[in-house]
Amino acid sequence: MIVEIISVGLIVTACLALFLDEAVYSVAALAGTFLFTALIYVLNGAVFVAIFQFAVGVGTLAILFLSGEMLSEKPAKRASPKNTAALIGAGIVLSLPAVFLSVSGAVAEGSDVSFGDALWNLRGVDVVLQGLVILTVALGIAIVLYEKRNGGK
Amino acid sequence: MDFVILSLVMLAIGVYGLLTNRHLLKVFISVELIATGATLNFVTLASAMGKGLGEAFLILAFSTDTAVSAVILALLVIVSKKYGTSDISEVMKLQENDSEVEE
Repeated sequence: MIVEIISVGLIVTACLALFLDEAVYSVAALAGTFLFTALIYVLNGAVFVAIFQFAVGVGTLAILFLSGEMLSEKPAKRASPKNTAALIGAGIVLSLPAVFLSVSGAVAEGSDVSFGDALWNLRGVDVVLQGLVILTVALGIAIVLYEKRNGGK
Repeated sequence: MDFVILSLVMLAIGVYGLLTNRHLLKVFISVELIATGATLNFVTLASAMGKGLGEAFLILAFSTDTAVSAVILALLVIVSKKYGTSDISEVMKLQENDSEVEE
C-alpha cells in the first residue's frame, strides 16, 4: 500500500512541477518528485543511491529556486484551485497503469557483484574518467569567468 | 505495482512537457523528469536482479545528469540576460531579428 501511495505522489508532483504557472511552486513540486523518487529507491533496497539522489536533488533545487525567482516573470493571474485540482486528478489517473498493470518477463541471471566492487573495480576507469570530465567542466567555467572579469576591466 | 510502467509514465510526462512547454525553466524540469524516469528504471532492474552493478551505473548517470543540469542552467541564465525573456519562441524571434540587423 505504501508503494502505491508513493507512486501516485510521484506522478502527481511530476504533473504539478510541469504545469503549474508559477516557477517557485513548480520547483517546490519538483522537490516532492525528488523526495518520492528517493523513497522508491529506499524501498528497492538502494539506500546509498537514495542518499545520492537526495543530495543531488537538494543542490539542483537550491539553484532552481534562485533562478526561478530571478528569471521568471510573475504570471498575470494566479493559478485557480480548480486548475490545481485538475492537475492532481490527471496525475492520479496517469499513475493508475503503474498501480494496476505489471510487465512480466524472464529475469536474466546477473553476476553476484557487490555495489562497492562494481563501482571501484568493474567501473573504476569510468569513475576516474567521469571525475576528469567534471574537473574539465569546472576548469572551463573558471576560465570563462576569469576571461569575462579581465575583459570587463 | 510495477516500477517499469511507473518509469515509462514519468518518461511520457517529461517528453510531453518538453514538447509543449515554451518556458526554459519548464524545459529544464522536463529534462529532470526524463532523467528521473531513466534512473528509476535502472534501480528497479538492478534490484530485481539483486546486484550492485546497476547502482554503480546509476551513480555515474547521476554525475552526468548533474553536469547536464549545470550546462542547461548556465544557458538559461545567459539567454535570459541577453534577451530579457525565458520564452523559447520569443528568444527565437529575437535571434532572427538580430541576424537580420547584422545582414
